[in-house]
Amino acid sequence: MEKRSSYSSLIAVALIALSLLNSPAAAARKAGFRFINRGEVNTLDPNRMSWMQDIRIGYALWEGLYALDPDTLDPVPGAAVKIDVSEDKTVYTFHLRPEGKWSNGDTVTSADFVFAWRRMLEEPGDYTYLFYYIKGAQDYEKAFTSNPAMADFKTVGIEAPDATTLVVRLSHPVTFLADLCAFPPFFPLNEKSMQPFKQTDKTGRVSYGGEFIRPPNLITNGPFKLVSWTLKVGQRLEANPFYWDAKNVKVKSIEAVSVDDNLLAYQKYDQGEVDWLAEPTGEIAAEMKKAGRKDIHVFPSFGTYFYSINCQPKLPGDRVNPMADARVRQALAMSIDKQPIVDNVTRLEEPITSQYIPASSFPKYKAPPGLPKDFAKAQELLAAAGYPGGKGFPKLTLLFNTEGDHKPIAEYIRKQWADHLGINVELEGVEIKQFSQRLHNKDYDIARASWYGDYNDVSTFTDKFKSDSLNNDAGWINPKYDELLKQADVETDVQKRLDILAEAEAILLKEAPLIPLYHYVNKYAFRDNVQGIPLNPRNMVVFKKITAGRGN
Amino acid sequence: MLRFLTFRLLQFPLILAIIYLATFLLAWVAPGSPFEKERKLPAQTKAYLEEKFHATSATAFLAYYPAKVLTTGDFGPSLNYPEFTVNDILRKSLPVSVTLGLVAVAIALVGGVLIGTLAAVKRDGPLDWLSLSVALIGVSVPSFVAAAMLLTAFSFNLKWFPLGGWPSGAEQSLASADTPERSTAYASGKPQLQDALDHPDKYFEFTPTRDRIGTVTGFEISERDGVKIDELIAATGFDWNQLFDHPNTYFRLRTEWWLSAWKYFQSICMPAIALSLLPMAYITRLTRVSMIDVLASDYVRTARAKGLSRPAVVFRHCLRNALLPVLSFLGPAAATTLTGSFVVEKVFNIPGMGDYFVRSVLNRDQTLILGTVMIYSFFLLSLNLFVDVMYSVIDPRIQLTQGKA
Amino acid sequence: MSEAVINVAAAQVTPDVIEHPIRRALSQPRIIAGGGVLLLIFGLCLITLPWTLSSSSQIFYDSQDFSRSLARPVSDSPLLWFGTDQLGRPLVGRCLIGGAISLAVGAAAATISIVLGVSVGLIAGYRGGWVDSLLMRSVDIFYGLPYVLLIILFKVALEKPIQHLLNDNNIAANLIVLFLAIGLVSWLTMARVVRGQVLSLRSQPFIEAARALGLPEKRIFFKHLLPNLVGPITVYATLTIPQAILQESFLSFLGIGVNAPMATWGSLAADGLAPALNPIVSRWWLLLFPCVLLAITLLSLNFLGDGLRDLFDPKRDAAKI
Repeated sequence: MEKRSSYSSLIAVALIALSLLNSPAAAARKAGFRFINRGEVNTLDPNRMSWMQDIRIGYALWEGLYALDPDTLDPVPGAAVKIDVSEDKTVYTFHLRPEGKWSNGDTVTSADFVFAWRRMLEEPGDYTYLFYYIKGAQDYEKAFTSNPAMADFKTVGIEAPDATTLVVRLSHPVTFLADLCAFPPFFPLNEKSMQPFKQTDKTGRVSYGGEFIRPPNLITNGPFKLVSWTLKVGQRLEANPFYWDAKNVKVKSIEAVSVDDNLLAYQKYDQGEVDWLAEPTGEIAAEMKKAGRKDIHVFPSFGTYFYSINCQPKLPGDRVNPMADARVRQALAMSIDKQPIVDNVTRLEEPITSQYIPASSFPKYKAPPGLPKDFAKAQELLAAAGYPGGKGFPKLTLLFNTEGDHKPIAEYIRKQWADHLGINVELEGVEIKQFSQRLHNKDYDIARASWYGDYNDVSTFTDKFKSDSLNNDAGWINPKYDELLKQADVETDVQKRLDILAEAEAILLKEAPLIPLYHYVNKYAFRDNVQGIPLNPRNMVVFKKITAGRGN
Repeated sequence: MLRFLTFRLLQFPLILAIIYLATFLLAWVAPGSPFEKERKLPAQTKAYLEEKFHATSATAFLAYYPAKVLTTGDFGPSLNYPEFTVNDILRKSLPVSVTLGLVAVAIALVGGVLIGTLAAVKRDGPLDWLSLSVALIGVSVPSFVAAAMLLTAFSFNLKWFPLGGWPSGAEQSLASADTPERSTAYASGKPQLQDALDHPDKYFEFTPTRDRIGTVTGFEISERDGVKIDELIAATGFDWNQLFDHPNTYFRLRTEWWLSAWKYFQSICMPAIALSLLPMAYITRLTRVSMIDVLASDYVRTARAKGLSRPAVVFRHCLRNALLPVLSFLGPAAATTLTGSFVVEKVFNIPGMGDYFVRSVLNRDQTLILGTVMIYSFFLLSLNLFVDVMYSVIDPRIQLTQGKA
Repeated sequence: MSEAVINVAAAQVTPDVIEHPIRRALSQPRIIAGGGVLLLIFGLCLITLPWTLSSSSQIFYDSQDFSRSLARPVSDSPLLWFGTDQLGRPLVGRCLIGGAISLAVGAAAATISIVLGVSVGLIAGYRGGWVDSLLMRSVDIFYGLPYVLLIILFKVALEKPIQHLLNDNNIAANLIVLFLAIGLVSWLTMARVVRGQVLSLRSQPFIEAARALGLPEKRIFFKHLLPNLVGPITVYATLTIPQAILQESFLSFLGIGVNAPMATWGSLAADGLAPALNPIVSRWWLLLFPCVLLAITLLSLNFLGDGLRDLFDPKRDAAKI
């Protein structure tokens, strides 16, 4: 069998040769804490961070004016040690911590913040609109876009009178400014380290090449520094020796492992290769829960799963929109039995809801009731709108993206409407990019949707349905709603403000441009040896307090 | 032949250019923007990003990127992973995919030829049916099912293989460097110091530092828990901090090639088998058919009449001739294996190109799409050319030269 | 030379298919086995269509009932023979209709691949010259383009027009678009194979004779070339079907396959993968039944293809030594 043996020896030689050629990169000893992040990290530029997994790593690398409390995730002083607020609550003076240092030993100064925030206006990112609360910011951005040379940064309410003081002027009081300041777009940046990558184009606009974010160029001021970042393999973070609170950082090295396949992610966790699985699939989490396992933790999350209804006068393709009539929308909302969804499809005991805002996250907020499940009333409403028993109701399409559980939920709801209202809705599953585009362009009849809050204030939810909001995918316009939100903006009494917002939500729920289904839950898988992971709806962790008990 | 070859080689760049253009247009027309996420992007941000990445319009894109590709071979930054360039990504993932693909094709070849020959020789008997059924698993079960089941059975349940991944192995160890400083330190005759230089693992832990594409550039060294520096300095009189501050003068990273090979073998085994199922099915059938043809030919009859035993006949005469169509199939087989590795790479978490190929389409990452498509097309075209040449070599009756027959 | 002589000369080179084709076919064990199983399975799927498609029947493919969600297979009631899925739908019904749709996908792909692939391969192989170059380089280009991108674009481009054509019957439109999309990328191998065969036939004496006679091209194609190509065409068409079915399963795995609530075996396998391989509680039936059906069908198709190839092989009797 000469051919065979020569083949196999050939393969052996080839393997060895290949192994020598592809000299493997070493991954030394096991990191102090290993976890599987939600997905592949796309970018670590604070300017453009918006995916959850990017933000998580961002919080480990940087520290903003405010940092997050390890247990409650409330904003606590971080890079700023003292904050003075003016009488009218529009001028904030931040006094920076003198011992704050970058990972290369430089001191953190107010100029670093000014540089980073200015960059957000000059190089627009995903969250630049959060800066519009600052006086003059939006105008400056517009001016800079049209003519960089003419725009004057002095008109913006961000000043650094000296190296340890930062003065921020707002156009109106913002109760949640502290939360914003903790959020990644508001992180400082070390300008000096970015200089070698500066690029200026012909109009004079400056940008920075992506290399500044790659190790070893990246300089950060948080508890950890980035040691390596390999696509599809993961990131390795090591404790930042210059961090002002370095002695209280419990873990010395972190490894974020990148795994795309959900089954493999669970298998790795189960075999002990990682300490924390940040988001097992619903399928696996539900079974773990049912089996009574102690290492699965399911708790309320800061978001809602709902169906968005196109409220514009005409549907795409120039068809008449029956759902422009609020009664039709209400009928659609009231004819669904939501409990079987969380019992049989998602199986994680999510709280079903007829409300939009997850009230459990806002203790002082009194959420309005919303539309109940009432099949008889739903049929009445549909008849009153001109489609008794569903007769004459045009065929509509329900749009969803094919990743995840959306398909069975859509199949179930379609049947509910067929059974209880007698209408025929067809399903259309597309992949995520197509789906996002169609949702944002209002190119749908009814679509699956979700919304997570960005910061710890009710307005992060209510703002979405403002008539002029970027994220108003339903195209719903209600002047009274807008009016109430404007009122809330300027209201300084906390409780009164929440009541105004509750009134606004009541209108929203009654008019039903959305059908709330359930509030999301977070699911974490980690064993007893892991300490310091807060079970907080905001789905954030403060890595400096985490430990896996291994001592490094 | 030469005329044919030069003619086809001249067509190469033209075809590549057309593929580039066609792919770009397809990617451009496809609904969805690379910058858009689940939340709508503010208009100015979108405009800014499009300008920054020269993606404002088709002409803007075509004015900037092809020129870069032609002059410097640089495909530009990835639109989805802006901190990485397409070349970085390709450079890292291409060797992985090529290795995986080659091993898979090798397995398919060996397995397929064996089973196909067996089936041909024992034709229409039970062994024929059985061996064919086994080989045909590749075409009767979807690849994601086969891959997932292999992973679960052998890696998770039986624990014979690692859970996916590609070795970025722990197979490097700390070894002594041959520098004058090291020799001096060693020659000082302090036993603990010599022990540390000979067996660094007892005293130190190291972390490699890596460059942009993950290649190891150096390492950082730290003491193990329990190693007390002050005591060591007092005991030996040697300033141990030197070892930490200037590790390169005392230590280096050593790759244990046999350990690396073993790690590679372990990681590559399951995914390569999973990937080999499909080409193995085809090769089995091809071998069987061409073997049957060959076994029926006159010269085989002659050989048998001469008195040669069956195995001798089969292996010395038939195999070589029967394998010709298999070889011509090898080209497309290698090509499809390379392009079809997405499922295996996803299930086994292998950072190869097949995964980027599909993922870039789903992300509308235009620059990465173009980069991967160009590489694949280059391979495919080369392989097709190779196969066409083989056709004429095998069968002299086929005229490849242009002009009417 | 008259055409008759050409025919005789051709007959000496071509296999003896004209004589008793059915008897020949039936003497091949592979064809019987493969064809038989196929007939059985697809026949079953097609016959039960009235039941799987009617909402009042027990095995309606979309009959949801949460009380029997994720039920294991039991033998008492027909709808539980294969168990149920998350929504309580009987897997039996879904497998049956899945078979019908998968068959349709395969048949459509085979048809398109025959029509398109044969024409291109024939013309390219026969004409040679720049026509050959152009056509084959086009095939090369097609090969080079990313398959997933093509499918997404075909779907997007063709979906709306076909919907209008069919009076807004979305389910049918979605299926037709899927057929077209898969078919349009399956013809490439057929073109290659046919071209290769035509190249070797072209240099045969009987074809040269036909050209010398000055016979019109069309006649040469239809009367002399095509009959000799029937063998490889049939074989490859039969082999295109399993390929197309597997391709549809790949698309379902990516999430761009058939639209819900319709199902194909591929989409059932893709949906069933996670529940079946769930490490804590395995819902094995959701993966087993679609995969077994898929495997049996695809194996039969492949055996059928092999058998057909043997049928068209003149040397087969002499193979045993």
